[in-house]
Order: sequence, then structure tokens, then C-alpha cells
Amino acid sequence: MRKVLGFWGWLLLGLGSLLAQQERFRKSPPIPDPLLRPELPKIESTQLQNGLLLAVVPRPDQPLISLELLILAGESRSPRRQPGLATFTAEMLSRGTSLLSAADLEERIDTAGGDFSTTMTPDYARFTFRFLPGSLDLALEILSAMVLQPDFNEREVAALKRTKFYDLKQKQRDPEFIGRRQLLRILFKDHPYRQSFYSEDVFKNLTRKDIQAFYDLYYRPNNALILLAGKIDLPLAARRVSHFFNTWSKKDIEELRLPEPQANTADRFCFVDLPRAKEATLILGNVIAPLAETDYYPLGVLNQVLGGTPFSRLFMNLREAKQFAYSAFSRMEYYRGCGHYAVIARVIPTASVPSIREIKRELERIGRERVSSFELEQAKSYLIGQFPIRMARLDELSRQASELLAFSSGESRWSGFLESITQVEADRIFEVAQKYVLPKPVVVIVGDKDVLLDELRELDRLEVYDLKGVLVYTLIKGVEG
Amino acid sequence: MLYESAAFFNGGGKLNFRFLLCYFKNAADGRQSTMLKKNRCQTWVLIFFSACLGASAAQEETGIAFTFSRFTLKNGLEVILSPDETLPIVSVVLAYQTGSIHEQPGKTGLALLLENMMFMGSQNVGPMQHIGYVNRVGGEPNASTTEDITYFYQTVPANQAALLLWLESDRMKSLEIDAAKVERAKQALMEEIAERKAAEPYLESLLAFDSLLYPDFAHGHGILGREEDIAGLEVEDVRAFYATYYVPSNAVLVIVGKIEVDKTRELVEKYFETIAPGKKPPLFLPPRPPEKRTVVQAFEDGGVPSSAFHLGYRIASPYSRDYYVLTVLDYLLFHGESARLYRKLVKKEGLALFVSGGIEKRKDVAVMKLFSMNNNETMVELCQKSLLSEINKLRTYEVSEEDLAKAKNLLKRDFLNRLASPQERAIFLAEMLFSPVGLDTLPDQLPKYMRVGPGELRLAASRYLSPESNVILNVKLK
Repeated sequence: MRKVLGFWGWLLLGLGSLLAQQERFRKSPPIPDPLLRPELPKIESTQLQNGLLLAVVPRPDQPLISLELLILAGESRSPRRQPGLATFTAEMLSRGTSLLSAADLEERIDTAGGDFSTTMTPDYARFTFRFLPGSLDLALEILSAMVLQPDFNEREVAALKRTKFYDLKQKQRDPEFIGRRQLLRILFKDHPYRQSFYSEDVFKNLTRKDIQAFYDLYYRPNNALILLAGKIDLPLAARRVSHFFNTWSKKDIEELRLPEPQANTADRFCFVDLPRAKEATLILGNVIAPLAETDYYPLGVLNQVLGGTPFSRLFMNLREAKQFAYSAFSRMEYYRGCGHYAVIARVIPTASVPSIREIKRELERIGRERVSSFELEQAKSYLIGQFPIRMARLDELSRQASELLAFSSGESRWSGFLESITQVEADRIFEVAQKYVLPKPVVVIVGDKDVLLDELRELDRLEVYDLKGVLVYTLIKGVEG
Repeated sequence: MLYESAAFFNGGGKLNFRFLLCYFKNAADGRQSTMLKKNRCQTWVLIFFSACLGASAAQEETGIAFTFSRFTLKNGLEVILSPDETLPIVSVVLAYQTGSIHEQPGKTGLALLLENMMFMGSQNVGPMQHIGYVNRVGGEPNASTTEDITYFYQTVPANQAALLLWLESDRMKSLEIDAAKVERAKQALMEEIAERKAAEPYLESLLAFDSLLYPDFAHGHGILGREEDIAGLEVEDVRAFYATYYVPSNAVLVIVGKIEVDKTRELVEKYFETIAPGKKPPLFLPPRPPEKRTVVQAFEDGGVPSSAFHLGYRIASPYSRDYYVLTVLDYLLFHGESARLYRKLVKKEGLALFVSGGIEKRKDVAVMKLFSMNNNETMVELCQKSLLSEINKLRTYEVSEEDLAKAKNLLKRDFLNRLASPQERAIFLAEMLFSPVGLDTLPDQLPKYMRVGPGELRLAASRYLSPESNVILNVKLK
């Protein structure tokens, strides 16, 4: 009996050991195959006789066509006394033409199997139209009617004013929106970009005449570009776009000379009240100006090391180590010739001040010590891996390509992106960190004042703003009231 | 005003960070899991649909411009491989046939809780490491739970396909579930419910409406679960749910992207074939046929900004002929810039501040739902009258060819868009495989919608959108 048991025991042990050996591959991640470099489709372009820049990104595998029209008149073109005018003008385009009502336009967009949207940036207005390939002519006909024959009728102007008012009211429930807007109001205080960060009441005094005047000034083919991506080539696009846009007449437009925004250099803490907010939202940032093209790539890697993912320094420190935050990330946003960085953290209200200290410590650290080779490789690996993943989506591909053309960033950001990221070294990150990040960030805190103001009293000076960006009062440490 | 970033660097995806909130830092305890002998796969099907995109006038457009192969491992895991040479990336979707309809009374929220726990560590992958491994190569792992399917999905550079298979197989084989992790996941889910309720003032009334519209418990309760149920969940509940539903025989693995089919198949076998098949999950009993009776109730809520109402109909079961017909009707009523009900009730008549709706399917049953927000209770009443008269028109008159063509084009756009990127395509393939009509009917799907005629539409509206089967919940300010 003992012999039999012994035999089976050995057999089981042997089999177990064999299986364990077979499954050793489960213990650690597999070694990857060599990385394949993506071959991006070329951006092909031509200029039509009236000055309209036309570009095509062929993606014959895609079932839809994406069209982007960019008018290079963003909010920075709105007159100083009329912030929001650029946005309002852009959104009026889909609200009726001299021949087609807003309802007619909607019907036609749907018939093309389309969806249409308008986005505004400080630098340009973007009109995005995605539709079925068989509807190319219909889509161009709709778009040309909107752009060449807008009506701006009083009834639609009034309706859009109501919509915009309620949209902004709605957005003002979002602490991140409020905080980011306040940060940028301060960073771009005397700059034309300040026009972008308005409140809900800016539209009420706009008139049809203002809108028409803005349109007449900037909606010109020599101030625009059209990009088509999908199952289409440049010769076809050029024929059809010329057919629908050849009557669009060009006109000289005064060049907008943007001053260089100045980075914040002193400690500055700002608070915006959001009643009943359960968390404190912290937004810290500063201007990146002037942005040198060669700094674009090291800044991208720096952002990854600092706060691009849950494995970056900010998240690991504030959430994992200190347990102050629900989330903590950083991002870079770029405009024509400049940009800004922002750190966004959602934290426990009682940990607001320690969280601000930790974020500032991380910002200083990245400009004081060179990043480790592990962090460097991890950040570059993320950016290199993510690039083709993002390009898989037609909307993302079109957005990136049209933006490159709008900023005249050059082919290198398209075809040379991976190479440039690969070449980023720790020294370059150190250099750009010293150049851009070290200047003291503006700190904006959004939360419920009944919960937060006591916590924030240990800050030397706290500026309290309302939702319109007006300074209501300033709290000085040690001063009551 | 929110605007987009100009950079390649800022992530644009909608990453679901819910699972990050559940991250538990302690290392796994190293439990051993069962292994099975390596098996050969059972079937190999190669399907190529070349009949796409208007090859001839007589041919109907299927929208399927890709190839895929399908096989089943001996442990029951279904596998679909679909090569796509466009970019050097690969999307991996692992979908399990489980969701809120598989929860028992008193145990709601379990499906979503387990989705979160799948990121909290398995035998060889520590807590948060799944996200870390995928992030480091440029991917962003994500997951979603529906009423009947739970999806885990990520896209990475093509050379990292094996990494995803390693990660997914480890958590399918040996998820680490302990009391501390369960507590952390429960806390995160409670926080999510609180956040959702704060952000969506009509959520409570919607949940109450669902229980009217779906009279049985399985379909009628929400994915988020009830707070009191979640508080009472125990480690054994989570382990039992995992052991029952997170098994190979209840799952499909879909891989789409730049892959070599033979090599990928070898990798799938290596990582998945020795995972124990698990017991067949209990059969889901079909519900009773829809009742034809009007239900009108009121719901008082102190947290809503204005009066509102929910209205719904129980319609034909998913993938039946009438279901396709009613989906086209859904596009006519609720989708696009010129959606009929929004235009009528909000823009023309000004009776509603906001209107939304559409068809919703929960495994084997489907409903058409509408939500309307109104200024006051008088407006609610007027809006309902106007709405019901519009629905009545659909039952009486045929819609115009133009309107029908418009609705179909919008539907076609959305259908094709679901096939445009590798990840979306992989999710769609998983959904079709689990559907009652199966993956083989994929080429028939778009033509079925496109063949719908005005007469069929009127008949289906007559059959299902009748005044005798209205379910209405009026939301009143407390």
C-alpha cells in the first residue's frame, strides 16, 4: 500500500512540477517583438485660385469621410469689448443661409448621413463635418452654402443667445471648467487670448451687425483651409471643392500680431466658490512662451514624466503615496507660438494646502534634478506607442493634420514625430524644465467656500474671484474679515 | 469656453478611471489556480466578406470590408482574429457574458464591482500593474459593463499583442479577491453612485422608471446597483460571481489589428488553453412576454431642477424583424440634427426644454424610451398630448421616402463607424457573437435595416407604440 501511494505521490509531484515548468511564462510579461514604425499617410495639399488651402489625408480603409474647415479667426480676433463674437459668428453659420433655413440645413446634414459640429479656439474656428462617402457633393454644397451665404437672421441670433447662455450656465457646474478658465484669465490677462475665457452674459449685447462685420472681415478663403480625410484623393477633392467654393472671394486681412504672454513669477493663489462641491479642484499652471519648435518634443516627454498617466510623478505622489488626491494629472496646451502647462488635481478638501505644496515641489524637482533613465524611457515608450493608436481614429487624424496646417508647424511634427521623441534625452528635459516650468505657477482652487476657506487661511494671500472672473476680495493671512 | 489642445501629447481617449479608485496597494497572496491539459482547438472558420461597398448595383452593401477567422478552444473560449494592416497596432477585447441581469435580488452592483476588481491584481500581475504595463507601451486599458456583457479592451502597438494576452489570461485564470480589495471596490462604487446622482438629477427617477418598464427584477434594476445591496456584499459573493461568469466557456476573445493569424493563434493557445473551463453558467430564463397595459405613475423628487416625464414602450425582442424596423424608427425620432421629436416638442412647439430617447436592449428584451424635461406640470401634460399625437400619426400614416432615407443614412453612418477603428470593430464582433443571431449574420445586419420600407414602419409602430402599452412616470418637484 505504501509503495502504491509512493508511486502515485511521485507521479503527482512530477506532473505538478512539469505543469509548473510549462506555465513559467505566466510569471513575467512576455518579451515583445521589435516595434513596427507606422507609415502615416501623407498630407497632400494644394492652393485653390482664391487662396483656399486644400489638404487631403487619404485613408481608403475608412468607411466615412471627415471634412474640417478651419477659419483662422479664433477668439483672439474678437474685439476687446466683444469677447465671444468669434464663437457666436462661427455658430451662426449652421443657423440658416439666404436660401436655406436652419431646419433645411439640418435636414440636408442628416440626408448626407452626416454630423456637423463647431469648435472655437483662441486661434481659429473649426467646422467638422463627417459624412458617408457617397454624399461628398451634398456635404460640400451644404458647407459652401453655410460659409458663402450665411443669413444671420434676427430670430436665429436670439435663439443662439439663449442656447449659449444656458450652455455656459451648465458648464459652470464643472469645477475643472471653472478652474481652467480662471487660470487662463489670469495667465493671459492683457493678451488677446483673454477673449476666449468669457462668462455667459457676453452674448446679450451682440447684434446682427457685429456678427456680419466679423464675418465680412475674416471669413475669406485666403484665411481658411479645408482638410478631407478618408476614402478620397487630392485630384477628386480639388475638383469638387473648387466647384463649390470658387465664388468665395479673397480679401486682404490685417495680420494679427500677438504679443508674447509673460509668465507668472510670484506666488499667486486664487479661489473660486462652487457651492456644495464635495472635493477641492486644484489647477496650477503657467505660460510657455515663446515656444521654440525644438522644445516641443522634450516638453511632451516632460509632461509624461510629471503627470501624463497614473504612473507619472503627480499621481504616484498625491494619490498613492500621500493619499491626498482622487486624481492628479498634467497637460500641455499649445497655441500659435506659445502654450501653457496645467496640473489638475481633485483632492480631499482638508488636504488642499498640502496638495498644493506637493505639486509645487514636483514642479521644482523636475527643474532641479535630471529625470531617471527609467522614467525617461517609460515616458518616451508611452508617447511612441500612443502615436499610431491615436492616428487610427479618423477624427483624431483629421484634427491633428488640420492643426499642423493651421499653425504651419511643418511636416516634421507629422512624419518626424517618433524620431524626435526617440532622440529626447534627460538633459533636454532638464533644460526645458528650467526654461518654462520653474517660474511660479498660478494656483487656482475651486470648491465650496464654507468648507475650504478655513483650510486656505494658512496661505499668505488668497484672491477670491466670482464666476465672471471679477476679484471680489483678498484674504491676507492673519487679518480677520 | 472649452477648446481642444493642439498637442499630440495630451491623451484624447475617454479612459474610464473608475478602476483606479479601487486600486489596492498590497501584494497578492499567491494562490495557485487549477491548470488543465493543453487542448487542441475545435473549429476553424474563415469567413471573407468581399461583397462590400457597392461592388455591383444589385449587391447590397454590407459594410463588412474586413476578414476574420474564428475558433473555439477546448475550454470553450471563443476566439476571433481579424487582421488589419493599416497601422501597426492591435486591439484586444475580452468580453464575458455577464452583467446586471445576472445579479440576484439583494446582490445588485456585483457585476460592476467585479469589473473594477479585475484591475486590482491577479496571481502574477500586481494591483495597478495591468494599467501600468499597458500605459508604458502607449495603451489605455478600459472596461465597461452593460446589462448582459462586460467588456475589457485596450489597444497597443502590434508588437505588444502577447503582453495583452498575458495580462488578460492571468486575470481570467487567477484574479486575487480578498476582503480588503472588496471593501475598496465597494467604497469606490459607492463614490461613483454618489457622483452620478449629483451629476444626473434625474437618475433616481430613471431607475424608478426602469422598474416599471421592465417588471421583472433581472431586467429592471440598474447596473450601478443599490447602495444598501453593495454595502452588504461579501468576499464570497464576489468570488462566486467571478467563478460562475469569468470563465473561458462564457467569454470571447477578439483580436483585431496588424497580426499574423497563425502566430497569434499560437499565442492565444499558449495563454488561454490551460485555463479551467469552469461550469456552464446557469441558463438565463427568458422573461414573460410584454404586458399590454398602460402604466402611469408619479415620482416626487426634491433634487430635480424642473418637472419632467419618462415614457416608454416594450417593443419587439432584439434582432427580430420588427426590432430592425423599430430601430430605423428610432433614428427618425431621436437621431440627427433634424430628429423629429426634438424638432417638434422643443423647437417648434416649445413644450419641452429637452427631449432625448431611443431603443435600449437588455439581452432578450428591448424597449423604446423617451425622456422630456419641461418647465412645469402643465407643460408636461401638453407635451405628452403632442407626443402621443405624433406617435399616433406614425401608426396611421406612412413616413415619406425622404424621411426614411435620412433615418437610414444616419443609421448607416453609425453602423459603419462602429467598424472603422480596430477597437470599435473588436467590440462589435464580440457583441455580435453573443447575440442570439450570431456572428454569421454580420453581413446581413446593415441590409436588414436598409430594406425597411414605410409600410413596415407603420405596422411596427401600430403593433408596439400603442396607447394601450404606454408606461409613463411623471417626475414632480417635491
